Order: sequence, then C-alpha cells, then structure tokens
Amino acid sequence: MTLDTFDPATTTVDVIIVGSGAAGGMAAFSLTQAGLRCLILEAGRDYDPQSEVNMMAPESAAPLRGAATPDKPFGYFDATVGGGWEVDGEPYTMREGSDFRWYRPRMLGGRTNHWGRHAPRWGPYDFKPFSRDGLGVDWPIGYDDVAPFYDRVERMIGVNGGRLELENHPDSPANCLMPPPKPRVPEMLLKATCESMGIPVRAAHTAVLTRDMPHDVAPRSACFNATPCTRGCTIGAFFQTTTSFLPIAKATGRLTVVTDAMVSKVVMAGKDRAAGVEYVDRKTGARHKVEARAVVLAAGTLETTRLLLNSGESPAGLANASGELGRNLTDSTGASFRAFVPALADRPRYNEDGIGGQHVYIPFWLYGEQKRGELDFARGYHFEIGGRFGIPPAATLPRVWGAGLKKAVRAASGATIGMTLRGEMIPNKDTFCEIDQGVKDRFGIPVLRFSFRWSQHELNQVAHGQRIAHAVFKRMNATILSPELPPEKLITAGGEIIHELGTARMGADPRSSVVDSYGQAWDVKNLFLMDGAIFASGAHKNPTLTILALALRASERLAARLKSGALA
Amino acid sequence: MTPSRRQTLQWVMAAAALPLARWTSPALAAGPGTPAPFEVVAWPPTLPPPPPAQGYGRDPNLMEPKVTWPLTLSTAQRATVDMLGDMILPADGKSPGAGALGVGGFVDEWISAPYPVQRRDRELLLGGLIWLDAQSRALHQAEFTAITASHRAALLDALTVETPDARLAKPVAFMDGLRYLFVLGYYSLEEGKADMGYIGDQPTPGEYPGPTPEALAHYAGVLRELGLPTD
Repeated sequence: MTLDTFDPATTTVDVIIVGSGAAGGMAAFSLTQAGLRCLILEAGRDYDPQSEVNMMAPESAAPLRGAATPDKPFGYFDATVGGGWEVDGEPYTMREGSDFRWYRPRMLGGRTNHWGRHAPRWGPYDFKPFSRDGLGVDWPIGYDDVAPFYDRVERMIGVNGGRLELENHPDSPANCLMPPPKPRVPEMLLKATCESMGIPVRAAHTAVLTRDMPHDVAPRSACFNATPCTRGCTIGAFFQTTTSFLPIAKATGRLTVVTDAMVSKVVMAGKDRAAGVEYVDRKTGARHKVEARAVVLAAGTLETTRLLLNSGESPAGLANASGELGRNLTDSTGASFRAFVPALADRPRYNEDGIGGQHVYIPFWLYGEQKRGELDFARGYHFEIGGRFGIPPAATLPRVWGAGLKKAVRAASGATIGMTLRGEMIPNKDTFCEIDQGVKDRFGIPVLRFSFRWSQHELNQVAHGQRIAHAVFKRMNATILSPELPPEKLITAGGEIIHELGTARMGADPRSSVVDSYGQAWDVKNLFLMDGAIFASGAHKNPTLTILALALRASERLAARLKSGALA
Repeated sequence: MTPSRRQTLQWVMAAAALPLARWTSPALAAGPGTPAPFEVVAWPPTLPPPPPAQGYGRDPNLMEPKVTWPLTLSTAQRATVDMLGDMILPADGKSPGAGALGVGGFVDEWISAPYPVQRRDRELLLGGLIWLDAQSRALHQAEFTAITASHRAALLDALTVETPDARLAKPVAFMDGLRYLFVLGYYSLEEGKADMGYIGDQPTPGEYPGPTPEALAHYAGVLRELGLPTD
C-alpha cells in the first residue's frame, strides 16, 4: 500500500511495527498468523526483488566494473537502496576522537535484502558472559530459553550447515538444517592446514536454501549456485523478508505496509502507555499520527534507540528510567588477512561459485585456554573464509607487462586465501549514542551523536587473530599480502561491521535495563523492542539469527497478552 | 575516507567472496632502486580540473546500468591508452589484446568518474600520459605513439622495475595504476574470463558439484607438497 491510499486517521490496527527488516518482518509474520491486524511503517521506499534485482548481469555491465563508490559502498549491483554509510539529508555526528559509521538502507526489507547470511547460533556462554568472566552483564535468559526458537527460525528461514560439536557452539536438532554445500579447494586446504594446527574448521551455517522450500504464497527455490548473494535473490534462495515473511503476512489480509514513512516519535496516551506513533511522509514532508493497542520498534538498533530518545516528556527520552538507553553500544570487531598461496597457483579450473559466500568457517576454539587465563583478552572471535577463482588482487601480480603479465594473472587466479576476523566487543562506558540537539535531519528530527572506543580486550583480540592467521598462512608456505599492523591500525572502525547492538538492553532488573527478556519496555507496558537494541551483549557471532529468534519469542508473548487482555 | 579505510572495506568485500576481486593498488616500493636508464623529465605540475560530472546516485536503476558521466580522454590520449593496453595485455594464442578489446574505454570511464578514488587515479593517469609524451620527445623527438616499438618497449621496461629510483616514482606509480586498471577492465570481460580459464556464472540447480577429479588430484598433490595429512 502506498501513502496515497492509506488514511492514518481511519486505520485501526492492533499493532504498529516500525521497520520491516529481520525483526519487523518476523513480528509481522508472527502477529498476523496469530490473528492480529498489523501496520508496518517502513522509512525506506517500496522494494521488489523480483523486478529490481539484476542477478545475472556481469560486473562488466556496471559502471566502473561494479567497483565500490561512495554512492554504492558495496558495489554497484549491491541491493542496498537509497542509503549506505550515508543517507541523503539524514546525518549523524560524533564526539571528538570517535570514529563510528552507521550503515542504513532505506528500503522495504531493510538489511535482510543484502546481509551476509552467516547465521550461527549463540551458545550458553554468550548469554551469560558476566558469570563467565565478570565483565558486562548476563542476559536474563539463557541458551535453553532461546533454543526452541532457534530450532523454529532455522526451519522457517532456511539455514544450511553441518554439525559443529564444539564447546559453546550448539548443534541444531535433526531436521533444522539443510545440508551444507561441498567445500571448495582453497577451503579444503585451509581446513587441512588449520586442523594440523589444532584449529577447527566447520561447515558454516548460512541462510541460503540448499533444498526447495514450497509454500502456497511465497515458494522459495534452492540456490542454483551462481550470482553474488549481496545483489538480492529473485528466486528466494537466501532469506530476505521481502520474499518470505512480508508476502506471507500480507496474504493473511491483516497486514498493511506503508513505505516512505519515517517515524519521528512514539506518541503517548498517558505516563506508561503508548497511543501510537507520529511519522513523516518522506515524499511530502506531511506529519501523521497513527494509533494502535501496541507499538513494536524494530527500526534497527540505533534508529530504535534514537526514536525513544526523541520521544516522551523527559530530556532523557522515553522508557529510560534506568538511564541505560543509548549505552552499551557494541559492534563486532573486524580485521582481514590475505595471502597468496603458491601451491594453489595454476590449479585446475572448475566452477567454484557454490552458494555465494563461504562454505566453511573457523569457529572460536580457545574457550579452554581462555578459562585457564592463558589469553590476554576476554570473549571470542571467529574467522570467515574467502578464496576462489577470479581476478587476482593487484598485490599478487609482479611488476611486469606484456605476455608475462597475462601469465601471472592466469597463475594467480584462485591462489589467494582470505581470513576475516569477527569478534566480540565488550560494552564500555565510552561507547554510546545520544541525541545531538544541535543537528536535525531533513524531517526536523534530532540526530544521533556517537562516542566510540575499543578497549584493550578488543585490541588484544585482533592482535591474537593476526598471529593465528599469519601462522596458518605460513604453514601453507603462503606469501602474506596483508601488512603486519599494530591492533589499533588493524581493527575496523566502530559500526563498520554493521553489527551494532545493545543500546536498549534487556535485563531482569528495571533499574539496570530498558526492556525485559521479551522486549517489553519496563516503563511503557504496551511498547515492545524487537531488534538488536535489546541485546545485553554482542557475542562474536553474527546477530541476525538471534534477532529473529528473540523477535519470534517476543511476538508470540505479545500476541498472547493482546488476546488475553493483559495489555488493555 | 583514508586509503587504509578504503583498503579495509575492500578486504571486507573480498571476504564476502565476490567472484571478482576488488581492485587495490600495492604499496609503492620506496628508497633507492634501479637507476633510471635515461634523464627523467619532470612530472607535469598541474592538470586542468575535470569537467562537472554526476555520479549515479544511491538508488540507480540496477536493471539498466548506466554511466552517468562524460568520458574525458582526448582522441590522442585514448589512442595512447589503447596502444598501451595492447602492450600491457597483448594478443596471444588465447585471447585478444586489451586495446583491441576496447578496455581503453573502461580506463576512460574510470578516470572520468566523479568519485574520490577515480579522481585520484585521474591525476595519476593524465599526468602519466603527459609525462610519457614528454619523455618520448626528450629521448626520441616524437610522442609516445610515434616512436618505434622497441623504444616504446624500453620505456615500459623502465616503468616496471621492481625497485624504481626516486625520480621514476611517479611514472612507475602511473604505470602500476594503468596496469591494474587494464587487468580489472580486461579480466572482467567474457574474453578475459576465458583467458584465465574462469568457469562460473552458470546457474547449476541441485547440489553444488564441488571440485572435479582433476582439481582433487591436484589438491592431493598440494597436501603432499606441504606435508599435510591426506586423509
């Protein structure tokens, strides 16, 4: 539905959902199944993967061969629409000395249209980090509370993968996962090398179908082992809400979707009760109010928190009696290592496309050493793996011209292996977001200001990762292409891994948390947060599967409460 | 965006395992190196500013990709670039030369683009083309395209030494940039993919077949060579 045909004044719904990505899509799916009438307000434009994703065009059809530019930071064909590290007319600011980047798509389905699709389960340690090392806080729930929802989400969205059989890396029960694809030669070499050094390599858990998923409304096909996933997927092989949850929810007749609707604040009906939200029509600038029995914020961690900070009567924002709103911001750590492996030069060609991203990865394996105090950092990291035929990186080519250059390109194609570190960041008091009262976006909404700092834990962690990656490369007799760097230079900027979490954390105590374990705001009983804002810690594992599991758990609780009248 | 940040982003993307590696230029060798084989002419001090141009924006129509900026190489510059393309990636029994394939048009598209990386490359490449003609005139009294093939080859040899001396640092950086732009432009074309034996971009329903027996046999040899377990 477009704004032209939507009349906010006469619309009556049970639940307003702000955002249509992983959390908002799951909320709409679950709540409409439960018989509730929902309205999604999406800040970005309407988006149809079937007609807008150019899956098959070669990179040579794109300007600059598809190279990254400030307009399209992940390449021309990347599915991100209308945004990126910058969104026109929607700035953010930083405190002096901070380096933070905020990635925002402006499209129906949000980041699920172009996410990385690595979907590991979090384990028991990840929900109880304080109990393990005395840092940060424990979640009010543990792995056993989330596990049944992981089971269901893996089956709902379609995840492929194999068994892990490792400490703090829970395996899925039978019938949850589709079979993983065979590894490619560089991945096999990495596995053989790592395992000879005591480092495990396992099939990755990836939200890409390796079997068809029939459905009356939104049938999805198994991956056909070609085309880059970040472009989006017209056959529905990888999970994005625009080809799964949203069409299914719409088919119930109980979902209205309004795009180009930038929500500016939560409107109150009393001190502890939300009446609805106010939003700005991005095309006309007109302001509207819409009401409902409950409000779900799933706008993305930082947009959700910004909304609360800009709502309510208090300068501290809405639902912020604890003072935790905006605090506890984390992103994953990131560092990348790459090497040229002479043993793989000029190897026999075959089709190495597979399911797009990595087929295997390195889960964190040093929990025992860490427990014994043998590591100089808390928490874990994992390596994501890259390496396949293609144009070799410039650094693998000798400074030659003519026949020798052609020969070098042929030899070096497929002879580079990359290890990309993703690790846990522990919340620290210097890393948070707040409202910058001096700067407003083009809708007149005050913007976020970020403060960001890595602690010594994160710096030591990436330094450790560098030593490991370089040791693995040396074991392969490889030439390391990534320069050896001090950790301050090695580590990515805050926000750059696009795993921002934790600015409205859940807890068991209203004095130290913003929401309960179901995302219900302690201070506003019909207001629910369902995205990464509610995470009590970041883990090193990519967060989307956990966002989906928690949103399913919260949505079912919300539906039960609305039906029982508990929120009346 | 600092170069190191840009490089990090490119590594992030490389980790996403797109089939075409992103283009990065290597760090320049510094310090004393191979002496220049001729008296080096000066690098051009300034270039005319690029004409106004528009990027494609944050939300282009991806089904109909379009270059939104005008190409800016002169006819003579383009002829030089095409000639350099056929020298850098020449025709052989496997594939045509880069100039003949029109990859010079991609170089023009790149250096004419209104983005920071491309604007920096424009400085380097346009400066290099001017320098190359000036150096050719100084040595052989004619522009680069008009001197003999062996004189042109000698110039390229001087610009592809592993450790150039300081006076050749800029010209060598120019040639590095040009060579890698030709590699990117060439090997992303069908002809270039065929040249490097790339097999892919083929929808393959069903289970991913994985490595062929030949690939596995070679891999077994790699394990033996590295002394890794072969089970």
